[in-house]
Amino acid sequence: MVTHLWVDIGSGISLGTGLLFWFWGTPVLFTRRSILFKLHYLSVADTLGSMAFMVGLLLRRPREWPLLLLAVLSLVMWNTVLGYVLAYCSTPEPPESRHGSGC
Amino acid sequence: MMLLTVVLWGMVGAFLLPLYHTARRRDIWETMLALSSVATKSSLILLLVSVIRDDWMMGLVGVITLSVGNAGFMLLAHLLRRMGQSGDSSLG
Amino acid sequence: MDPVVNVIMVLLPLSAGLLVLETNPYRALVVRGVLGSVAALLYALLGAADVALTEALVGTLLAVMLYAVAVRSSLVVRLGVLQGDLAQGGGGLAHLMTALRQVLGQEYVQVEWVPYGELEALQQALANQEVHGICLCLEPEGVQMITPIQRLYEILQREWPLPLQLEYQPLPAGGGH
Repeated sequence: MVTHLWVDIGSGISLGTGLLFWFWGTPVLFTRRSILFKLHYLSVADTLGSMAFMVGLLLRRPREWPLLLLAVLSLVMWNTVLGYVLAYCSTPEPPESRHGSGC
Repeated sequence: MMLLTVVLWGMVGAFLLPLYHTARRRDIWETMLALSSVATKSSLILLLVSVIRDDWMMGLVGVITLSVGNAGFMLLAHLLRRMGQSGDSSLG
Repeated sequence: MDPVVNVIMVLLPLSAGLLVLETNPYRALVVRGVLGSVAALLYALLGAADVALTEALVGTLLAVMLYAVAVRSSLVVRLGVLQGDLAQGGGGLAHLMTALRQVLGQEYVQVEWVPYGELEALQQALANQEVHGICLCLEPEGVQMITPIQRLYEILQREWPLPLQLEYQPLPAGGGH
């Protein structure tokens, strides 16, 4: 019974951390900073917050571990790659190559 | 179970923030950021609900949305970049 | 549980309205992705896992790609020019291109040159509707532009920043536009 209580407390702390991360990183969208700054905060908040959520859920329901593990893996991999791709695509290319493709 | 419901309400609240950001007409890349955030958050909400209801199928949908949706957004980002390259000034 | 589903149920028509009211086609693509995400979430919460999976796959991947191809291929104005004009200096044409992109970019339309070797080929292309208009460099300086499309003519006439001889020349019979 005691271990059950500890698991409950641990998963509660994890879930709270995840929620804290989300509410810390998402309002950065509304500021007037540069896009890369926002991307950094948002990807950190989303990835770390979601991983904290997964840990909390895993403590609570160890039976569903394959699903949660798969979610953690795909989240870490795809969010990193997507962050890189968005950063690469959102920065405008140097002006000389832009001009050359036109006429 | 009480705690999970409270956390779920918090997640829905956080889900509303990027959704509101898409309503504001800003730069298209900011909308892309909001889109990636919306996708991640929606699949996380789905996972949490699947744990609450003890439903494997829903969790599977969340995981597949998480991986496939992001791949689609990468393609979309490249397409938007190529369109911006060939002269649409509004894309910046 | 149910109040949460109700809140997300309200979000679906809201995001759909956002998509309908969006005027920029490129931003509409992104908002379509948001709508797909919200819809997949709602369908799964209501118990339709298969529908949610289909929406996630089709809505965020296939539909967005198809729309992107459609927007890219239809929102382009092709202007025929002579290869010689484009090769020698092309100062007038370069200025024209910048101004055209500025004016037509407000309507989310892109502009591209289609070079032709001779004047006959250029006029033949205009008659065959291969291009939306032709641009000719005049002798001392200046550019003459001929277009058979009335809408393009109206837009350019309304807000034209550069001095340019603009001519509206409707197609002889059964114009497709």
